[in-house]
Amino acid sequence: MEAPAIRIHSLVKDFRIGLRGWKLRAVDDVSLDIHDNEVYGLLGPNGCGKSTTMKVVLGLLEPTVGGCEIYGVPSSQVKSRLNVGFLPEAPYFYRYLTGRELLKFYAKVCSVEPGKIKPRVTEVLEMVGLTEAADRRVGTYSKGMLQRIGIAQAIVHDPKLIILDEPTAGVDPIGSAAIADLIRALKAQGKTILLCSHLLAQVEGVCDRVAIMDRGKVVLEGKVDDLLSKHDQQSLLVDTFPEAARADVEAALAKHGAKLTGVTTPRISLDDLFLKHTGKGGPKQS
Amino acid sequence: MNGICHRILTIGRNTFLDAVRQKFFNALVILSVALIVSSRFFRQFDFGSGELKFIADFGLGAILLFGSILAVVATAQLFYSEIENRTALTILAKPVHRWEFLAGKFLGVFLLLAVFTALMAGILGIMLYWRESSLMDRYGDQFGGQRLVSYAGLAGFAVLQWLKLGVLCAITLFVSSFSNTNLYSVVVSFFVMIICQLQYIARDSWESIGNPALKGLVWGLSLLFPNFQMFNVGDVMLFPHDATEQLSAGTPWMIGGYGVVYIFVFVGLAVFAFRRREI
Ligand SMILES: Nc1ncnc2c1ncn2[C@@H]1O[C@H](COP(=O)(O)OP(=O)(O)OP(=O)(O)O)[C@@H](O)[C@H]1O
Ligand SMILES: [Mg+2]
Repeated sequence: MEAPAIRIHSLVKDFRIGLRGWKLRAVDDVSLDIHDNEVYGLLGPNGCGKSTTMKVVLGLLEPTVGGCEIYGVPSSQVKSRLNVGFLPEAPYFYRYLTGRELLKFYAKVCSVEPGKIKPRVTEVLEMVGLTEAADRRVGTYSKGMLQRIGIAQAIVHDPKLIILDEPTAGVDPIGSAAIADLIRALKAQGKTILLCSHLLAQVEGVCDRVAIMDRGKVVLEGKVDDLLSKHDQQSLLVDTFPEAARADVEAALAKHGAKLTGVTTPRISLDDLFLKHTGKGGPKQS
Repeated sequence: MNGICHRILTIGRNTFLDAVRQKFFNALVILSVALIVSSRFFRQFDFGSGELKFIADFGLGAILLFGSILAVVATAQLFYSEIENRTALTILAKPVHRWEFLAGKFLGVFLLLAVFTALMAGILGIMLYWRESSLMDRYGDQFGGQRLVSYAGLAGFAVLQWLKLGVLCAITLFVSSFSNTNLYSVVVSFFVMIICQLQYIARDSWESIGNPALKGLVWGLSLLFPNFQMFNVGDVMLFPHDATEQLSAGTPWMIGGYGVVYIFVFVGLAVFAFRRREI
């Protein structure tokens, strides 16, 4: 069998804080397998160790105990990152470069063939919706635009594994929906994606599997569908539902030993409402 | 191998671009140009070779002073901003070795220093040439029909200055690789620079130290800190006719080699210190 995209085995990460050798355990005995072509969500409250886990996976921090492998290659080796793209949290890039120059730089660092850099950069800019701002300096970008250029930077060299630390932080609902679409598109192309977030509604829509972390430990892990559906209940959607019909339905259900527990009006989410009324948002450029 | 060079050059080029697009660099260049050009207006009444020496001293002093500031501040700033802005994270999350990252950073600043010294030495050369020509017209007898300033010597000396600034840049990179603040790197690096400038005093007194342990310690320290006094050959190289003793043909090469060795040593130390740093 092929090695999983990411394998984390009994990972512990301590940070030394203060001079007296106090230790803070940021990640506590985490073991995870993330399979090829899967969208995996790492969820949890602030400070529970999500970003730290990602950094260890990328070899940016050294594990205290345990280790990680990317497609079977230990993270401590540079060649494990040949096929990886990473968006750090609250990214901040070389301000003096334009968006296009920035992506060219990262493409070159990743040894993309010189002839392919230009079309690829244009394509990626289009994918994250930054074509209009491509020739402005990154220093003038808004927070959401920085996030988008960050995602562009993570995928510019067409990696197999993409690690996104809070991809939708600071991005408007239209942008978040676009990013969710982008993630689905990447999955369709056969990529593996590890993302972390605490915007749960968005995670729900894109992730195949999630792990919930708390204080450095994984407290729950599994397929989103399995975790979220209530298998013992079903719901009906009805257009008009007069009082008399309700009595009949209850009677019919009673015959089968079932019970109607409640009648509610389904609501669309605020996100959907926002999307419907703003269309393509953002300030117009002149 | 090809890929490694390519990555280092890309990072170096980006660092260079970063520096050039900052106001600090441009301000420093304008200031140094102004200083070199202004030496013309400090009237000296001893016309002839004395005035040329004055312009040369003044210009070389400006290159050394502003070059040192540039080497230390630019290295510390360019390195620290990578850590601060977490751009180092995005680069190191790519298939880039940490030493490649440091080498790229060094190369970028080294390139910046090359542009700086070439520009300054060029302007100084033009100033000297222009002044020398007009002095030759008026006081031809003092010159004996030949030029006093060796322009090849100026070019050679500029290269040596560049290497010396490169050593300073490597030292700053080393300090930055383990320090946590920009200010700390700058202060410590300047301090080290002063030690390097003055260490010939320690070397001179080395002979007179009796205690062998102390003698060994001073000897070790003087090896660790490069001797910047070695590079002070400006007078001999620029005015070979006036100098009491000449440099042998190999000396500038030796001094240059000395600089290159220390550059490798300090960049190597920086790589070692940065290897396990948590960023
Ligand atoms: N370099 C560091 N030095 C010391 N402690 C650290 C360091 N980095 C992270 N920590 C600590 O490790 C813990 C986990 O941090 P981490 O950044 O992984 O949290 P997170 O899950 O990403 O939180 P958030 O949702 O806020 O991004 C925190 O308590 C944090 O204070
Ligand atoms: Mg985080």
